[in-house]
Amino acid sequence: MNNPIQIDNLNFSYGPVSVLENAQLSLGEREFVSIVGPNGGGKTTLLKIILGLLEPQSGTVSVFGNVPAAGRKWIGYLAQYANLDAQFPVTALDVVLMGRLGKTRHLGFYTKTDRAAAHAMLERVGLGDLHKRPLNALSGGQKQRVLIARALVSEPKLLLLDEPTSSLDDYVEQELFDLLRELNKELTIVVVSHDVAYVSRYVEKVICVNRAVHTHPVCEIDENLIHDMYGAHVHAVRHDQEHG
Amino acid sequence: MAEFFQALFQHSFLQHALLAGLLVSVSCGIVGTYVVTRRITYLAGGIAHCVLGGMGFARYMQVVHEWTFFTPMFGAMLAALLAAFIIGWVNMKAKERIDTVISAFWGMGMAIGILFIAKTPGYGEDLMSYLFGNILLVSQKDLLAIAGLDLFIAATALLFHKQFVAVCFDEEFARLRGINTQFFYFLMLALTALTVVLMVSIVGIVMVIVMLTLPAAIAGRFCLRMGSMMALAAGLCAILTFGGLAISYDPDLPAGATIIVLTGVAYLISLLFKKR
Repeated sequence: MNNPIQIDNLNFSYGPVSVLENAQLSLGEREFVSIVGPNGGGKTTLLKIILGLLEPQSGTVSVFGNVPAAGRKWIGYLAQYANLDAQFPVTALDVVLMGRLGKTRHLGFYTKTDRAAAHAMLERVGLGDLHKRPLNALSGGQKQRVLIARALVSEPKLLLLDEPTSSLDDYVEQELFDLLRELNKELTIVVVSHDVAYVSRYVEKVICVNRAVHTHPVCEIDENLIHDMYGAHVHAVRHDQEHG
Repeated sequence: MAEFFQALFQHSFLQHALLAGLLVSVSCGIVGTYVVTRRITYLAGGIAHCVLGGMGFARYMQVVHEWTFFTPMFGAMLAALLAAFIIGWVNMKAKERIDTVISAFWGMGMAIGILFIAKTPGYGEDLMSYLFGNILLVSQKDLLAIAGLDLFIAATALLFHKQFVAVCFDEEFARLRGINTQFFYFLMLALTALTVVLMVSIVGIVMVIVMLTLPAAIAGRFCLRMGSMMALAAGLCAILTFGGLAISYDPDLPAGATIIVLTGVAYLISLLFKKR
């Protein structure tokens, strides 16, 4: 089996603005890594390239040995939470069912198999009895779980989450990471986060993206590295919460 | 109102009007729900106003060049589909502000229609009926065309319900799941264009947008799912069309305008109720 993600010599720019330079990234099966870096450093761009939504100017990207547009069917993706219409008339189950697109039949409604899979996945994220709840009646943490269930219901082999905790409080954030750790027994997980100190408690490797892309084992994360990456303005790193 | 029901049994033009209203309500509920949830009200308004260009052109060709087959409804359909395609395409490809693009087509479509109507011999009564509707002039032939279009819209919406819901809710995710979102976006605009054409015969170009948004907006306040929102919107559209027609008959009010005012009032009342 090919690596979930293999990126070599990748360059990407928006017009004259270079965003990623000579990026290198290799991700093995069942790894749990975090992509960190300052805002505007290229995290989301990297994610969109992996998903085949953006074309790099040069370099190779392979997702499970395929070009991204073909390989992405094995990716479960959780976008940044902000861009969904809270008023949209859908229930939790409706949202999860959308993850079956591409696996289900083309014409007509979702099948019994789809519905069973969606129910099972809601159960898995601890929302089994809330399937009839409209999306806008769920709390922030519950919404995020519904969206994770939607990402998982297509039976992906790689889960990509873009800032999954940005709208959650600390307690819910921890619950979410406990769930991810559980899921990590079966699939590769990549979490984009701006909070290095927090995610480093959970992940094995941290991928620092700030135009360049570097991969570090978690044990290497120290003040110097953070200083290099974010510049001199970051002082408060939450060491007090480490290894609780 | 009693007089209306009496007349309903006697006059086939009223029966045609009512049947047309009920048929169109199906498309109105379905497509209105897309328009409201996908937030393309202004786009739908632009398409509606472009329809005048097509109707004016068709009428001109009919009268001046004796293209008898080229009915205003046929011209409306061509113009609506063309406008939907061009506006959608410009929106996708050119990095222009969408509302600016729509405004351009909105005005040009109307202007072209007015130019053609001005050059068509006659008294210009066509213009009034295009702008404000002429539900009482629906012929048996129109009814057949309306039923055909209606069936096409409903069948398409039913067959691709899950894709449309996904594209309206979260286009990027749908695309990542292998859905051809551009195709479904254009298909949605095409259905919107066809529904606009259907509604034009009832309430006219200027007021189409009300029927395309308010019944769905009322339904959206009470429904938890797209499917039920469509059904309730269609039901409301039917009731409001019927109600407006009945109210307008006795005092001899314009049917289209009466339907619109009734719909607007219903929407305002719905705001008084607590949202789901």
